[in-house]
Amino acid sequence: MKRLLSIGLILALALTALPAITLGDGVTLNVWTNMTGVVNETFAEVCREFTAETGINIDYAAPANDYEALMKTKMATEDLPDVFSTHGWSVIRYSSFLRPLNDQLWFGDISEVIIPLITDDDGNIFVLPVDIDIAGIVYNRDILAEVGVDVDDIVTWTDFAAVCELVKEAGYIPVYLGGKDDWTIGQFFDWVAPSFFVTNEAENDRDALIDGTFDWNKWGALADMFADWNQRGFLNVDAATSDYATCTTELGLGNVAFEFFGNYAIVDANKAGPANLGMMPIPAYFEGDTPTLIAGERLAMGVWKDSKHPEEALQFINFLARPEIMSKLASANGALAGFESVESDTGAVAGDFEKYADVRTFPYFDRIYLPNGMWNDLCATGLGILNGSMSTEAIVDYMRESYLEKMDLL
Amino acid sequence: MTQRTRAIMNLFYLPALLLFAVFVVYPFFEGIRISFTNWNGYLPNYRYVGFANYRRLLTDPYFSSVFWNTILYGFGCTLLQNVLGMGLALFMDTKFRGRGVLRAVVYLPAMIAPLIMGYVMFFVFQFSGGALNDIMLLFGGERVDWLAVPGRTVTIIVIVNTLQYVGVAMVIFLAGLQNIPAMYTEAAHIDGVGSWGMFRYITFPLLMPAITSSVILNLIGGLKLFDIIRALTPPSPSTGAASLSTYLTYQYANVERAGYSAVLGIVTFVFILIVSNLTMWFFDRREAQML
Amino acid sequence: MKTAMKKNWWRYLLTVAILLLYLAPFYILIGVAFKMPSDPSSRWILPNYIYLDNFAKALEGRILQGMQGSLIITLCSVSLIICVGALAAYPLARNKSKLNKAVRGFILGVMMVPPLSILVPIYSVMKVINGISTYYGMVLLLLTFQLPLSIFIYSNFIASIPTALDEAACIDGCGPFRTFISIILPQLAPVTASVAILTGVTCWNDYQFSLYILQKPQIASVTLAVSDFFAQTSSNVFAAAAAALLGLLPIAVLFLLLQKHFIKGMVDSAIK
Repeated sequence: MKRLLSIGLILALALTALPAITLGDGVTLNVWTNMTGVVNETFAEVCREFTAETGINIDYAAPANDYEALMKTKMATEDLPDVFSTHGWSVIRYSSFLRPLNDQLWFGDISEVIIPLITDDDGNIFVLPVDIDIAGIVYNRDILAEVGVDVDDIVTWTDFAAVCELVKEAGYIPVYLGGKDDWTIGQFFDWVAPSFFVTNEAENDRDALIDGTFDWNKWGALADMFADWNQRGFLNVDAATSDYATCTTELGLGNVAFEFFGNYAIVDANKAGPANLGMMPIPAYFEGDTPTLIAGERLAMGVWKDSKHPEEALQFINFLARPEIMSKLASANGALAGFESVESDTGAVAGDFEKYADVRTFPYFDRIYLPNGMWNDLCATGLGILNGSMSTEAIVDYMRESYLEKMDLL
Repeated sequence: MTQRTRAIMNLFYLPALLLFAVFVVYPFFEGIRISFTNWNGYLPNYRYVGFANYRRLLTDPYFSSVFWNTILYGFGCTLLQNVLGMGLALFMDTKFRGRGVLRAVVYLPAMIAPLIMGYVMFFVFQFSGGALNDIMLLFGGERVDWLAVPGRTVTIIVIVNTLQYVGVAMVIFLAGLQNIPAMYTEAAHIDGVGSWGMFRYITFPLLMPAITSSVILNLIGGLKLFDIIRALTPPSPSTGAASLSTYLTYQYANVERAGYSAVLGIVTFVFILIVSNLTMWFFDRREAQML
Repeated sequence: MKTAMKKNWWRYLLTVAILLLYLAPFYILIGVAFKMPSDPSSRWILPNYIYLDNFAKALEGRILQGMQGSLIITLCSVSLIICVGALAAYPLARNKSKLNKAVRGFILGVMMVPPLSILVPIYSVMKVINGISTYYGMVLLLLTFQLPLSIFIYSNFIASIPTALDEAACIDGCGPFRTFISIILPQLAPVTASVAILTGVTCWNDYQFSLYILQKPQIASVTLAVSDFFAQTSSNVFAAAAAALLGLLPIAVLFLLLQKHFIKGMVDSAIK
């Protein structure tokens, strides 16, 4: 009897394997994105609509957390998907694998904000920006109201630290990080670094960072600020061991004032609780400089230049560029659409987007100002501060060495 | 058997050898070649950098902690699993109700993917909302960030891995105990040997072959530990809990230093071969002495 | 009976304590898997409502795909591990020349090699044979690294079969292959069950290889599918718990049904 049951169990599992074997006919495009959650579902729906309209099959995949690693191996084996999202790296990392799209009819519609971020030195763009990632700091409106702070009075990091002190006294956690998912720390540095080295028109290191002459001792000020926050109890006690899921849960339950995530965190947080959340610009480091926002690609799709189905791939890209499709995808992301003429629903932060429409935007720090492969250093050194294993000097040395190695200047 | 039959017979292990050649021997030598390059693991362009990656090993601030952790995971788990496994086996070698259920429940975790077990353990040990901290609060204690201190994290990982696999040692010893002919123990009983003497002079020596197998099995598993560490801690070695296996994949996948990762691989490879062979040799000698 | 209970009270106490310790993780996992994401109650409290959305979310992920994948990989790997392993064990058990002793030593050495230590070059080999993101790539790797165990168990077992039978067959003019098929193979059934169970569990639970070899979302293993939900960017621990529960269910049920065989398999591998 037991044996029969076991065989039954194995057979039942085997039966579930059957649908995987059936094959369709006609052209099939491989399409990959790094999207998760609602956008991922919406994208899959858009793929089905495209197939229904054109008869072209789409093998859609969204490997989420493994996306970047998978794409690296795909580049190594020169075997990319026909159409794929470039998660912020259309120019630096992927441009040699992509077909320029300047000849497409929608070229002139692309939003001003995103153009410089997706254009290479020769003026080529390689992706269709379906939407634009505009990110600031997510904050709890009710907590700031309780401690009597107007969010627009937070101009510099000194102001920010003062507010953190008030928040802490009121019994809330000022800033929440999830160090086990170390990207949460990397992202903090990625978003804060521009205010130290890039955004100040009067004094910045834009050229030095790019040409390899950057003085890494300056990085110490940033590391110190983070260490100082940690020491003063502005971060959650378990900042080094917590995870992203806990960050959003605590945010949703209304226990946290600030988190360094995009709008997606608001959606995730409100699954756990009804906290009243908004988005604010990132404060400045220098007196006299102004707060800024981070801008970048969110869902940006390019065509592999060696695709076996270039016609169909372009057809798909142009399908995504239709206003109603683009609007649907951008709304699912809660982001601004990639074309100025296309409207989208930005959810809880719609008012904030409007309010901060004129705030200067800067790209993600590591995408422009650090050589390829230094993202992990931001995560690792930040974690080193939190778990007390790295001093500021150690971090400066570590960053300098990695920078020179990755620039091939050693 | 003729010489010819023997020769034909030996052909039977050729498929196995071919697989080992392609997936073990060749990669080992290819690993040595990569260890002399600055390859980042995915872009096609790289160059040879001599012994730079080997020199890095000498100055790597994390290497010694990673190395000691690996030894702790290997020997710590082995010791605990065998001592606890022996205790459980002796306990279950007597007749009492519920021992069938107990054996099944203790052995069950060994069937479950260590990765999944690790994720469940995060629910237990995490600071915010973790099951263990809820118990601390229940008894009026303070919440503890269990995985924040390197030594404690390593201990937790050793305990989790031990509890998951102690069933393996237990069933091996249980089978060994049941193989001991009753006449030995009866004879000793008549001679008035106490229960400790019984264990020391009869049970233990007769269990030696089972102990050897169990120790080697646990040691190999412990030295290769990977999944649980990945599930409980961030990838960076600054947590002080990394093992050679997790550290070399970190260097490959996160830091993008395939060349240095290859050096770490060679070190791991050679180290584990030496340790396992020494252990085997040690136990072979002990067994021979006891017989 | 009553006195026996009294005398044995500490046994029952210990049994209950161990059972509680071992069942706690499953209890916690089940509790989380059935809770609503907006329920902030302790991990020790089971929900007092019925809520199945976490499982629906889990099934929307790759969990079924992962089970298929792991099943295909496990069945293929185990069949090959049995065939190639038994075949290789035969000469090693019967023909104890110096060469074969060396081969046996080498194979035991492979058992100890941590596959991750040669990860980078294994990956390059996989690329050359187009094995990345394929079932056969996974099968070849699992086969290679599980073979030593299978050869080890088989050769110990074959060595315990009297040689008189093969010798008789040899005199009758059977070649070694015929002898193996007609004399040895039929006797291997019980130990084959052990090999299948032992290596099958390892293949089903594999994470190290699938993490690096299965790089196409359409092909997953059960561990990969579960790890999707615990991924760094995923925020739904409740669906993750449901996925983990689904992922461990098949093997746990199979174990509880065939407990004796599972335990015998472990013992066969360890005791000569």
